Amino acid sequence: MRIVITGMGAVSSLGYDVDSFIEGIYAGKSGFRAIQQIPEVEQLRVQIAAEVPDYDETEHFNKKQLALYDRFTQFQLLSAREAVADAKLEFTGLLAERTSVVMGSGIGGQTTQEQNYKRIYHDKAKRLPPLTVPKLIPNAAASHVTMEFGIKGPSFTIASACASSAHSMAQACMMLRTGLVDVALTGGSEACITYGTVKGWEALRVVSNSTCRPFSKDRSGMILGEGSGTIILETLEHARSRGAKIYAEVLGFGMSADAGNIVQPSSDGAVRAMQAALKDAQLNPEDIHYINAHGTGTPQNDPSETAAIRAVFASHADKLAVSSTKSMHGHALGAAAALETIAVVSALERQVAPPTMNFTEADPKCDLDYVPNKARPMEIEVALNNSFAFGGLNAVLAFKRFRD
Amino acid sequence: MSEQQITPQEVIIGILRNYIGEDIDAEKVTLEANLEDLGIDSMDVVEIIFDLEETFDIDVPNPGDVEGGNIKFNTAQDVINIVKTLIDQK
Repeated sequence: MRIVITGMGAVSSLGYDVDSFIEGIYAGKSGFRAIQQIPEVEQLRVQIAAEVPDYDETEHFNKKQLALYDRFTQFQLLSAREAVADAKLEFTGLLAERTSVVMGSGIGGQTTQEQNYKRIYHDKAKRLPPLTVPKLIPNAAASHVTMEFGIKGPSFTIASACASSAHSMAQACMMLRTGLVDVALTGGSEACITYGTVKGWEALRVVSNSTCRPFSKDRSGMILGEGSGTIILETLEHARSRGAKIYAEVLGFGMSADAGNIVQPSSDGAVRAMQAALKDAQLNPEDIHYINAHGTGTPQNDPSETAAIRAVFASHADKLAVSSTKSMHGHALGAAAALETIAVVSALERQVAPPTMNFTEADPKCDLDYVPNKARPMEIEVALNNSFAFGGLNAVLAFKRFRD
Repeated sequence: MSEQQITPQEVIIGILRNYIGEDIDAEKVTLEANLEDLGIDSMDVVEIIFDLEETFDIDVPNPGDVEGGNIKFNTAQDVINIVKTLIDQK
C-alpha cells in the first residue's frame, strides 16, 4: 500500500502558511524574537522564543469559538484549514467515515491550564469558566478539526513530547495501510510559551537565551517554539482516483524507546528507530540523501544524534546532508515533526537541502555535513525526518520524491 | 447612564443576549421568550450561570441539589427569578 502526501498546512514562527514557512527556511530566516505573550517576561531568564508572530486570534475566530479554543487548538485549526484547502478535499458521504484525524501535542491547552490555575490559586477566584476542561484537554485540537470538517473516522491525539506529531503520522500510516481509512489528517500543534512552562524549561537548563546553533561547538540549547503542522496522507489509489496533487510519498517509519533516561537521549534508541524506518521502507542506508535531524541544539542531543547517524550509515554518513531547521523555526515540540515534514517535502520537491543556521564552529563530536548557514541544491530522492523525544520515545519517517 | 442605574433585570437580559443564536435578533430576548427558541443550548446555560455568579456574586446550585424544587432555566423570567431569590438569600 503506497501512501502519499496530498496537502499541507503550517503555522509557525516563520508565518501563517506553508509558503512563508518554506520561503523562511530556504532564506535562512530566524523566527526567534523577544517573547510577546507572557506579561511577566521580565521575571524570566529565558526571554526569547520562536513565537507565532503578531498573532491576533480575533482575526481567525469569532467570540463563541474563542471561548472554546485554546491557542493550541486555534493553531491546529488554522493549519488544518490550509491543508484541507490545499488537498481540495470535501468530507462528504462515505469519505467522512473513511477519514481519520490523528494529531500530536506534547501538552495540550497549556495557556488555559495556567490562566485558570492563576485564577484560583493566585487570584483566589471562587469559580472557573465552565469551558475550562473542554478547552484544555489534549484532544481538543483533534476534536475541533473533526467538527470543523465533518470528519467521522477514527480520531485521537498522541502525546510523546517532541515526537508527538511523528508518532501521529506513523499511526496514521498504519491506519491507511490496514485499510481502516483512505485519508488521514495528521500532524500536531503546540502552544506552551507560557510563564509556568518557560520557568519549567529554564530549570532544565536546556534552553538558550541567545539563539539555536544545532551541531555547532558553541551551541547553547534549544529555542522554544510553537505552531502547528497538518499533513494530509492518502492512499495512492485514493489520491489518484480523485486526481489529487501529490507532494511526496511516505515510504515508511520506525519507532523505538530508549528505556534509558527521561531526559538524556541514548544513541542506541535513535539507531534502532532509524534502522526500523529503513527496514519498513525497504531502503538501504545508501538510498538516503538528506536527514532533517532532531537537532535541538542542546549539548546532549547533537553528539548523541550524530553518533547514531554514524552507527546506522557507516561510511555513507559522510555523503549525507544533515540539517536542523529548528535553527530557524525553533523547537515546536508536539508540532515539530509535522513542520519538519513540510521542510523535507520541500527539499524533495526543490532538490535543495535546507540549511542549519547559526552554525559557527565545528564540534569534534558533531562531525557530519550539517549544511551550515546556506541552503544547498543537491539530488534528494529519499530523506528521513528524525524525532527523539523527552522520555526516550523516538520516531523516524522516510519520505521519497514522488514519481508516477 | 451609570452602572448603578441599570437594573438586575437589564443586566440579565444583556447576559442572555451574548448567547443567543447568530441569526436571532437581540430584540427577541423578552421575559417570556423560551431560551431554547433563542438558540441557547444547555452548554450556553452553563456559561450563563457562570456569568450570573460572577456578576452578582451568587452561587447557583445544581438543580439536583435543591430540595423539593426544580431550578428552571426555560425563560428569561426564570433566570431573573432565580437570581433575585439568590440575591435576597445573601
